[in-house]
Amino acid sequence: MANYYDVDDIITEEENISVIFQKAVNGVGIDPGSEKNCVEQGSKVELPFWLASELCLRNTVVAQVPACFDEKTRLEVQADPACVDLRSRSPYFYEFGCKVAPVTGDRTIGFLLFSAFKSRYKEVLTKAHTAANVANPKFLSRLTKEEVHLYEAAQSSMAAFKKWRKGGPRLQPASVLRMKRKSTN
Amino acid sequence: MAAQSCSQFHVFSAEEIEFIAEDELIEIVPNMRMDQLNLIRGDFGPFLPQIATEVPLWLAVALKKRGKCRIRPPEWMSVEKLTQVLEAERDSEKEFQVLPFHYVEISRLLFDHAQDDIPDIYMVRSLMEDIRDVRFHKVETSLETFDGRTSAVQIRSLSAMEVNIVRPFVARALQAFQKLGNMVPETDSVPSTRPQGTDKAARGRRILRGR
Amino acid sequence: MASGSSGPTEDLGTLTDVEPLKRAWRNEKAAPEILRYETHLIYRVSKQIELLEGTVDDFTEDGVDPLMISLYQMDLDRIQFLLRSYLRIRLQKIEKYMFHLLLKKQEFHEKLSKEEKAFVQRCAEDMKKHLDESVLSHLPKNYQSILKQFTTVEEDDAEVDDMVPEPPLDTFVVCIAREYVGPSEFQDSSDSLAMDLPLEMEPGDLSFIPYRRIKKLLESRKVDLV
Repeated sequence: MANYYDVDDIITEEENISVIFQKAVNGVGIDPGSEKNCVEQGSKVELPFWLASELCLRNTVVAQVPACFDEKTRLEVQADPACVDLRSRSPYFYEFGCKVAPVTGDRTIGFLLFSAFKSRYKEVLTKAHTAANVANPKFLSRLTKEEVHLYEAAQSSMAAFKKWRKGGPRLQPASVLRMKRKSTN
Repeated sequence: MAAQSCSQFHVFSAEEIEFIAEDELIEIVPNMRMDQLNLIRGDFGPFLPQIATEVPLWLAVALKKRGKCRIRPPEWMSVEKLTQVLEAERDSEKEFQVLPFHYVEISRLLFDHAQDDIPDIYMVRSLMEDIRDVRFHKVETSLETFDGRTSAVQIRSLSAMEVNIVRPFVARALQAFQKLGNMVPETDSVPSTRPQGTDKAARGRRILRGR
Repeated sequence: MASGSSGPTEDLGTLTDVEPLKRAWRNEKAAPEILRYETHLIYRVSKQIELLEGTVDDFTEDGVDPLMISLYQMDLDRIQFLLRSYLRIRLQKIEKYMFHLLLKKQEFHEKLSKEEKAFVQRCAEDMKKHLDESVLSHLPKNYQSILKQFTTVEEDDAEVDDMVPEPPLDTFVVCIAREYVGPSEFQDSSDSLAMDLPLEMEPGDLSFIPYRRIKKLLESRKVDLV
C-alpha cells in the first residue's frame, strides 16, 4: 500500500482489537492468559490490528468489533455528535473504523463513522472560522487527529491570509521573489 | 532541498497568489519620459508625461514607488460600483457577484502603494472589507450544507485569494467525506440536505453559484 | 532604446512564453502527481532569460538609465522565479515518488526531462543503497526487497509493490475550465455511489473535484488547475 511509510497509518494499526482464535496455535506466547507458549482454540486475545487482520485473512482468528465502536458510543454520537470525546475512544477513530469494518464484517460501522463526521465537521467548520485567535483547547481535546488537521487547515490558512493582508508597505511585492541583484540601483 | 511552502493541501501561499495577480494590467499616467520596455512579458510604453498607458501591476507599483507615475484605480474600485456590489452580495443568499478574479490582491497592492490615487480610499477600503466578509460568510454557510456524498463542488465566482483560503479545509474535508461515504453500504439511505434556492444540484453536487 | 540596441524580445513577438510558463507552474504546483515536462517551453524560456541577462549586462555597461535597468531586472527576476519554482516543485515530487516513477516505465519516459530521468535513477540508487546497508541486508532473505514487504521464491508478478508510495490521485483540486466541458468528458468518479448529476463546466467555471476525474482534461489543456 502506498501507506507503508505513513506514520499515522502505522500508529492506527497499533490499536488493539479482540480476536477469538479458531484454531490452536503453538509456539507463540501472545496470549498473556495462557501459561504455556501456545494459544488454545476459542481463546480470546487482544492483538494489535496489523497482526489481527493478517490472521483474519488466514482464518486463524475472528475479530470482534472494538470497544470504541460499541453501543454506548453509538448512542452518544446519535444524541450529540459534536460533544462526544472521540479522541478518547481512539485518536484515529475514523481511520481505525475504516480498517476495522471490513475485517469484522460489521456493515454498520461505516454509517456510524459517516454520520459522526458529517455532524462534527460542521462544528469544526464553525469553530475554526470564528475567533481565529482564540485557542479552543477544550473543543480540540475532543477531536480525532483528522478533525484536528481539518481545524488547523482552516485556521492556518486564515492566519496566513491575515498576515499577508497586514503586510503593508514594508512588504514589497517583488522583493520577496527577487534574487540578489547584480545591477546598479 | 526543494522545500517550499506547500503541503498536499496548502498548495499556494498568499504571496504566490499575489505574485500571479501582479501580472494583471492596470492603467498608469506617467509623469516622465521613458523609452519602450521590451520585456519578456511583452512591450510596454513608450512612456510620455500625462499619456495614460497600460502596464502590469508589478511594473505600475515599481514606477509609483519611485514617484514616476500615478495609478488609475480600476473601474470596479469606485465607491459607487462597490456599493452596488455589496448590496447585491447582501441580497443574494447563495450567489456571488462577479468581481475580478484577483480583486483581493489588486486592491491590497493599490491600498499599500497608491493610496493617494484612490478617491475616497477609506470608503473604498471599508466597502471591500464588507464585501469580502459577506462573501466569506456565504462560503462558510455553503460549506455547512455539504451532503457528504459530493464528488464535485462548483464555485463559480469565487476569487483567487478566496479559493486559496478555503482550499486546505475544503479539499481535506471533501476527501474525508469521500472516503467515509464509500464506507456506507449503498442500501443505507443517508439523508441528504439539499440547498434551497437557485442551484440545480441533486445529491452529489453542491454549487455556490455566481451570476 | 537609449543604447540603440534592438529589444531582446525582437524575435518573440508580443505573445510570449510567460503565460504558458505561469500556467505550467500553477498546474504543477496544484497537481498531486508529476505532469509532463514542458520541454520546448522551458527551453525557449531559458534562452530568453539568457538573452535578457545579456541585455541587462549590456545596459549596465552602456550606462543606460538605472530605472530601466531595474525594471528589466524585475521582469527577469519574475520569470526566473517561475522557472526555478517549476523545476523545484517537480524535483520535490520526484523525490517523493521516485520508486513509483521508476516502476511506471511509460510515465517515466513521457513525463520527465532528460536531467530528471538521470536524477531519479541516482536518487533511487542512493536511497536503495542506504536502506540496504542500514536495514534491508540485515533482514531475512524474503524481506530484503525495497518494493515489496515480502517476496516469495517464485517471483510472483501478481504481488503488489506495497512499499512504494504513490501520488494521491484522489486529492481534491480546484480546476478552471478553459472551454466548455461536457459530462462525458469527466473520468468516472471512483466513488461507487455515482449519484452525481452530470457535471458540466462553462469556460471560466471553477470546481473542487478529485484530480483523477480531470487528469485527462488537464493533459488535453481543456482545464487548468488553480
